[in-house]
Amino acid sequence: MNQPALEAIGLTKSFGGVRAVADLSFIVPAGIVALIGPNGAGKTTVFNLVTNLFPPDGGDVRFYGTSLRGRTPNAIAGLGLLRTFQTARVFPGMTALENVMAGAHRHVRVAAVAQMLWLPAALREEAALRREAATMLDLVGLARFRDTPASNLPMGAQKLVEVCRALMARPRLLLLDEPAAGLNDAETAETATLLRAAADSGVTILVVEHNMSLVMDIADHVIVLDLGRLLAQGTPEDVRRDPRVIEAYLGTEA
Amino acid sequence: MNQFVQIVVGGLLQGGVFAIIALGISLVYRVTGIVNLAQGGFCILGALLLYSLQLDLGWPTALAFLAAVILTAAFGVALGAATFVPALARLPTSSMLMLTAGLLTFIGGLTLIVWGSQPYIVPPFSGEQPIDVAGILVPSQGPWIAVVAIIIIGGIWYLIARTDIGTALIASAENPTAARFMGVNVARLTLFSFGLAAAIGAVSGAVVAPIMSLQFDAGGFFTNAGFIAVALGGMASLPGAIAGGLFLGVAEQLAAGYVSSLFANGLALALLLVTLLWRPQGFFGGSRRRRDVRDEQRVYRSVVRFSGRGTVVAAAVLVVFLAALPYLVGGALLSSLVITLILFIAVLGLDVAMGYAGQVSLGQSGFMALGGYAAAILATNYDVAPLLGAAAGMIVSLFAALLLSVVTMRLQGAYLALATLTFSLLIDSLTVGLVDVTGGPSGLVGIPSLALGPLSLGTPRAMYFFVLALIVLLIAALAGGMRSSFGRALYAIRADQTAAAALGINVPRYKVAAFAISAVLASLSGSLYAFDFHFLSPEMVSTPRSFEMIAMLIVGGEGTLIGGLPGAALITLLPTVFQPLALYKTLAEGAILVLAFQYLPDGLLGGARQLGRWAMAR
Repeated sequence: MNQPALEAIGLTKSFGGVRAVADLSFIVPAGIVALIGPNGAGKTTVFNLVTNLFPPDGGDVRFYGTSLRGRTPNAIAGLGLLRTFQTARVFPGMTALENVMAGAHRHVRVAAVAQMLWLPAALREEAALRREAATMLDLVGLARFRDTPASNLPMGAQKLVEVCRALMARPRLLLLDEPAAGLNDAETAETATLLRAAADSGVTILVVEHNMSLVMDIADHVIVLDLGRLLAQGTPEDVRRDPRVIEAYLGTEA
Repeated sequence: MNQFVQIVVGGLLQGGVFAIIALGISLVYRVTGIVNLAQGGFCILGALLLYSLQLDLGWPTALAFLAAVILTAAFGVALGAATFVPALARLPTSSMLMLTAGLLTFIGGLTLIVWGSQPYIVPPFSGEQPIDVAGILVPSQGPWIAVVAIIIIGGIWYLIARTDIGTALIASAENPTAARFMGVNVARLTLFSFGLAAAIGAVSGAVVAPIMSLQFDAGGFFTNAGFIAVALGGMASLPGAIAGGLFLGVAEQLAAGYVSSLFANGLALALLLVTLLWRPQGFFGGSRRRRDVRDEQRVYRSVVRFSGRGTVVAAAVLVVFLAALPYLVGGALLSSLVITLILFIAVLGLDVAMGYAGQVSLGQSGFMALGGYAAAILATNYDVAPLLGAAAGMIVSLFAALLLSVVTMRLQGAYLALATLTFSLLIDSLTVGLVDVTGGPSGLVGIPSLALGPLSLGTPRAMYFFVLALIVLLIAALAGGMRSSFGRALYAIRADQTAAAALGINVPRYKVAAFAISAVLASLSGSLYAFDFHFLSPEMVSTPRSFEMIAMLIVGGEGTLIGGLPGAALITLLPTVFQPLALYKTLAEGAILVLAFQYLPDGLLGGARQLGRWAMAR
């Protein structure tokens, strides 16, 4: 039997008495999974709970069967669960290429001392990372921005750089928080291609997104949240027809 | 028992003064989130103005007091309007902290020029005769201090709790943007709080002037005391500032009375380190919400990179030039060049911690002292080979850095800078206090020259070449690390810790590594310094040195490795070249620090590059 990439069991989190996420359980199978819901449904909170940016009040998260409770964010990234942020968080003070290279951190094998001594192994690894990162920027059409300070890039390009950075870590599961928000149509198409390519290479992707045509286009499976609870899940077709989903998004007719 | 009460009374008086200073620091912190290290400067300014008005011009005490306070407040407002307030909109918290350190140095330099370096003492307000209260002698100045403290505390409480200005102050502290939208002029309010703090500082200085002799550089003492008091009580808490001040005063007097006055300061600092470890927000501190908000908003900085063939050529030219220098100059200038290079090693370490990893460290002087004293004592008293002594110093510093990391691990931005500042101050008081080990204030003499086996490096020229070679090796190693994943991880942490951790970067481990590198290099620099001078005294490696190193790094350009060299050269060589201007050194150092932070955020190197680009574009 196929083990799910991610399994949330009874996740609960309150902020000052407000229940942001209440007893939420869901399963993320392999492929591209979209996490959708109206504003305030708790989507970003779910990401923050999964990656332990804030600890949940209750419940558990299992990543390929391993519990993530009590692990630090960097330990979780070390297991192969990477994430991006709602507002692009490229590293200012680093070029686009350096940003993407920084993503490979968890794969770096040579010690810092070897890097300081300019040992051949360190130089080889550095060159390999540089090539890999350059290829990735090339793939998303950002080759000309390689040596531009990342924080000087347009917002769309910054978001793509952030996704590339996360993909450089060769994640098993990638959580993307609104990768297409604020992007134009061409950039959105670029993102869709990138995500499809990543999924085809075996990365499972859980994506929060408001752009419904993008969601319906790329997702294999959709999870719908409302008010911190699971509202529905299934294929894009199922979800689109689900009356509860329509109600949550559009309200009931009077 | 009588003696105990006597000491406690003295402690309460001193504590009352500390509490007033702490109130000024806390007030500015509440509104801006910045610890204003210039506060002690206003104390001195107020006290010295009182002296001049009262004794030189013969004004009556009350009038002189009032005028001193008003003049200091006016000076504070002018200084704030020119530097603090405009910088607040652009600089991250840690840079603001250094800016206020620059202001403190600047004020110190100014008072040095006007009043000279001799200490002053003002006659007590109401006669010399102490007051006898049931067998306890209270200095005649005591009631004045108590009354002034109560008036100021009450006044501030009334201002904040009962007036519109107070409401606006709280609003702009909670959320400056929202306050602005609600029609609060945040910039003007910030300036108001800065000026008010200056006035409070002047009052505390003037009221304490009759029981303490004061000279131009005592501002640091007041800043330290006030800052320790607020940190103990809780930065943003006014009751905390008062309690912290009183507690500190009593604790220091008890330590001085029953142990030794040399350790009074050390005790206070140890108390603070324990507090920071156990309860970083202080005894009265509530929310820690404000901590990093500003840093994340203003972390942006431009990218200065040296890479490619051009760099190799430029580096080769630079090394050839530096290697040729001893044949071109000699005498005092060559000796200053050796010192420049030695200090640059510590600045290089600081660049790794601060320029790359974003960990503002004021600990460099402390580690220099550890390295300097360890090597000097081993080589002088135990005939250990100088290089081995230096190595021992580096090991000691490494352990001290790891220990300090336990405290600083959870701290960021200004808190981290303050914890490392505390460490340096603690080392200061140890180097002065442990007379049997360090020789105390008069220092250690007869330290041998550096030697490589049988080869003695007794001449400035030999020393110069040795240190230069060492620097070339160090820069090569650090450049190798910084251009690779190690450096990228540090840079990522500086830019955005949360995003860095989300990539699997072990943030605490890299911070400790960067901090350890900076400590070890500072230690090495301290050892070389001692061997070069053949003498080491506490003031050669005391806390002002830490601020000086930050100035060197900022002036040159952080995050570039080489940037510290022009910075160190500028600050070390200028006084040698312009010997008659030595009087203005402190003033110039303060001004350079403030101006560099405000107008040259990327340092000389970044500025030169920008100028080059601008010229190219024409």
